[in-house]
Amino acid sequence: MQAIKQTSPYVRKLVSTKRMMIDVLIALLPVVAFSIYRFGWNAIIRLLVSLLIMIGLEALIIGMTHKPKKTDKTFKEKLQSKYSTYTINNITAPAVSAVIFAMLMPPKLPVYAVAVGAIFAIVVVKMMFGGLGGNIFNVAAAGRRFVSLALTGMFVGAYADMNLIAGATPLTALKGGMGFPSVLNSYPIIDLITGNIPGTMGEINAIAILIGLIYLLVRRTADYRIVLSTAITFLSLITLIGLKLYPTQWVEFVLYNLFSGGLLFGLTFMVTDPVTAPVTRPGRWLYGLLIGSLIVLIRTFGAYAEGVAAGLLFANIFVPLIDHPQWSTNIIKPKFVISYVVILVLMGLVVYFGVGGAI
Amino acid sequence: MIAKTKYIPDGKKELKQLPILHYLDANYLYYPVTSARCPDGETCVRGGQFVKIGEVIGTRKGAFFEQPMHATVSGEVVGYEKRIDQSGKVVDCLIVKNDKKYNLHASIVTRTEAEIEALTKEDYIKIIKEAGLVGLGGSAFPTYIKLETKDPINVVIANGVECEPYLIADYSVMMNYPNEVIEGLIYAMKASGAPKGIIAIKKKYTEIAERLNFSLKQYSNHDIKVVMVGNYYPQGWELEMIKNAVGIDIPQGELLSKYGVLNFNVSTLQSIFNAVKKRLPVLERLFTISGNGVHNSSFRARIGTQVSDLIELAGGYKDIEIPKVLILGGPMMGVNVIRDDIVMTHTSTSLIVLNEEVVVEEPCIHCASCVYSCPVFIQPTQIMNAYKVKDKDALKMLQVNKCIECGLCSFVCPSKIHLTEYMRLGKRLVR
Repeated sequence: MQAIKQTSPYVRKLVSTKRMMIDVLIALLPVVAFSIYRFGWNAIIRLLVSLLIMIGLEALIIGMTHKPKKTDKTFKEKLQSKYSTYTINNITAPAVSAVIFAMLMPPKLPVYAVAVGAIFAIVVVKMMFGGLGGNIFNVAAAGRRFVSLALTGMFVGAYADMNLIAGATPLTALKGGMGFPSVLNSYPIIDLITGNIPGTMGEINAIAILIGLIYLLVRRTADYRIVLSTAITFLSLITLIGLKLYPTQWVEFVLYNLFSGGLLFGLTFMVTDPVTAPVTRPGRWLYGLLIGSLIVLIRTFGAYAEGVAAGLLFANIFVPLIDHPQWSTNIIKPKFVISYVVILVLMGLVVYFGVGGAI
Repeated sequence: MIAKTKYIPDGKKELKQLPILHYLDANYLYYPVTSARCPDGETCVRGGQFVKIGEVIGTRKGAFFEQPMHATVSGEVVGYEKRIDQSGKVVDCLIVKNDKKYNLHASIVTRTEAEIEALTKEDYIKIIKEAGLVGLGGSAFPTYIKLETKDPINVVIANGVECEPYLIADYSVMMNYPNEVIEGLIYAMKASGAPKGIIAIKKKYTEIAERLNFSLKQYSNHDIKVVMVGNYYPQGWELEMIKNAVGIDIPQGELLSKYGVLNFNVSTLQSIFNAVKKRLPVLERLFTISGNGVHNSSFRARIGTQVSDLIELAGGYKDIEIPKVLILGGPMMGVNVIRDDIVMTHTSTSLIVLNEEVVVEEPCIHCASCVYSCPVFIQPTQIMNAYKVKDKDALKMLQVNKCIECGLCSFVCPSKIHLTEYMRLGKRLVR
């Protein structure tokens, strides 16, 4: 009998990072299925390009950044020691990012634009920061933001002419002149829920996204705290704006904002990314508060009609600050609850006066 | 997943059904001269001398206390050899050759009720000190020191939670000797002057509750209650148990007696009963051999029995070709040993033999399962990162010293990172 040296504990729970990644892929299925149903080959090609680039480049970079052992002689041995740390998570994790990234692309965006975004996301945002678990920005959101900044023309063109590549999404229409409530004529709320609108491939069908959200929350792969906190902040601030600007139609205004744009998609698949989130309970509530308010601020006062990806990236910057050892704690103290409410009220005041409210 | 983990598959159901073999056939018994708490020790017998059960054969010396060693069989002292004790260290052991007559020493006389009635606090402490009683839950802390406190004690708690998986020693004590536990608790209450006693057990142990409550009817003039606490891990940790059983929140690092509470393991209380009533030291303990790498069996064996004999008796190891992990104690906090010539000591309750499973560590994905599960509300993943860059200030700010090494962070990690080991390294770094 051979005895092995180990330290306690000697038993482990039957969970794995692989399972979490596959859970996200399963949750993405309804969204992907709808986008393929709606956009056919356009969706399939962009998905495949994105998957191929992200998984392939991650593998390539792992090979480039690992040195072979000095004792390795043949090419095969060198390859083996270079890829000794390569596991299933080096396939599932970029696959998750790739699918989310592809779902953030408009269906008619040129394939080269998708490729550029995917390359930037995986090389600069993920692998340069250390690969899985090391990235400080959400991979898919940063890729999406990069594409829309580098190739602005393909997106803003939509303001002038509805039939350009991206198509006028309900939110660009809201922002670009049409105004509320006349947008409701072009985009009735029922169409927003069922996905009968222009927009990026993944964000348009609210039902498919909600199925994924419920799956993730039931499986506890996503932390409900971030989702709930973001949703509470977003809804309360948007309701405030609706009540101020359109007192008679505020319900429609809130629903319109909730179901249009990438909010639900971002809420389900982007803000729940644990890698770029804080690690404590209060930290995650605060993080959600930050994302929610940034989305509202960007949508209402910013230059973009959208705000989820930008708001999330901006909130990512604050994560090391939230997690600073000096104050990070996992106990939700009364002090924290009070400051959470105070910040929410302050944001409410900012938004209220911002849209022209007076006392 | 990303949630607080409290429940660990405990595998106790199968173990409880095992028959308990009373093992009295050991040819040689080994008595460690030193222990983890007592780095020094000496014996007071010569080779060839005959000893009897309960006879003092030596003294272990700790930093501020001394602890007598007792023979648990009758027989001849034959010499010294090195063996492994409960803490996994190689120690010198005194060997007694068992004559299998089990003669009691002349000092072992049962006390009468009247004698017990007349005992004072000092007498109790003297009896317990001379019997060499220690915390049998695993701490091996001398029991008399707890009782010596000058603080007024309101309640004595019997901890029968035993939240670690695979351990059934306390369970079987409560099941088979409820009266001894209760009387031990009464003696502890008398010794500390506490008016109240509480026996804390897991909620799901309704059969134990029934048994204890039935026995308690004989002791209706004492204020003793059975309190059901949670089934989760680490409910057996004394601060967590006290919080749930009596509602007193004691900060870490404070003495329990300051808050009017004393806490004993139920097995310790049984040993107090034996010491006070029968003048006996701890002679026997229930020892369970479990795990998937060995034939499982339960024994009642004398202190000093060699565990490898018990393994052989149980049927030996399974799947010899697979490397094994040997654990003394529970699978969450137990001690790893790499040899099986282990000697049963006061705190031995179980040997777990697991077939080796290779775990591959993946990168941390900040899921925070460890942070959510931590019973002392520290942040294992952040401590790991601070340790990796040897940041002492951050480790202090993250309060790494609060860690009780319960093992939940390693248990829950989906990336299979050995966080508990990082906690230990972190503690060592800031020390």
